[in-house]
Amino acid sequence: MGHAEKIWLLLIGLTLAGAWFAETGHPGWPLTLLVAGLIAFKGRMVIDQYMEMTRANAHIRHVLYAFVFIIPLLVIFSHGWGDLVRRLTTLNG
Amino acid sequence: MNTSLAEPLTTPPDANLDTDSRVPGNSGIWVGIFCVLVEFLMLFTVYFVAKAHHPEAFQGGPDKLATVAGVTITMLLLTSGYCMVKAVAAVRQDASTRAFRWILLAILLGCGYPLVKYFEIRWNITHGVDGQAGIFYTVYYYLTLTHLVHVFWGLLGLSWVAIRTNRGIYSSEEYGGLEAAAVYWHTTDVIWLVIFPFFYVLR
Repeated sequence: MGHAEKIWLLLIGLTLAGAWFAETGHPGWPLTLLVAGLIAFKGRMVIDQYMEMTRANAHIRHVLYAFVFIIPLLVIFSHGWGDLVRRLTTLNG
Repeated sequence: MNTSLAEPLTTPPDANLDTDSRVPGNSGIWVGIFCVLVEFLMLFTVYFVAKAHHPEAFQGGPDKLATVAGVTITMLLLTSGYCMVKAVAAVRQDASTRAFRWILLAILLGCGYPLVKYFEIRWNITHGVDGQAGIFYTVYYYLTLTHLVHVFWGLLGLSWVAIRTNRGIYSSEEYGGLEAAAVYWHTTDVIWLVIFPFFYVLR
């Protein structure tokens, strides 16, 4: 099996594992952290392996890395500090 | 990360050049990709704000969606992306016919996405999950259908490079157009990898 096939299998396996974990009922922090980790890891794998960003323009690479780094942080933040997000996004008056 | 996973899948002919300056595809496609990333970052912000205001709707929302549809779309997109990796690798070896076949397979798998989405929406509507079923489903339809539109652009791009590959226009010396279509296609992958857990997994 080639390297590309291993990456593909890993991504498929992680997708199925994440869905199984959710379906078997693990809400709350365990699921939130798993989802954040999966978004970061799978996103990074596609960026590095499929898009070959490890050997590309650093500015482009950093923007893509930031995208798959910021969103998992927002997933964690919105779960742990949802009240703060609600207060910050409520218009008074 | 496993060391072997950090290895490149293929070796581009200009691998000996300064890698920090290499722009995969062309500059134009990256302007488009960055616009798409900003667009979805804004839509994801809407998701987080709506979730903060209606946590109970987002906690129970995924239960009424068909997880199998989300998983199937993810597998179709990841496998289609893999086909484009193989297509780029083939054209780097001047194997245009092989590259063409990989692109056709990528398009075929990519077309499975709107097909699955069609059946998913029919299933949703049968089960009372339409755009007015609640805030979670409003955001779900808006985000997933916006993504579907971008997948259509990607499929059009893949069709264009398939025709050009079949005509032997790309070679190991010049394949920027093919690579541009591939990186755009992979970007739709990356965005779906965020959308999928938001609506089908996270509770």
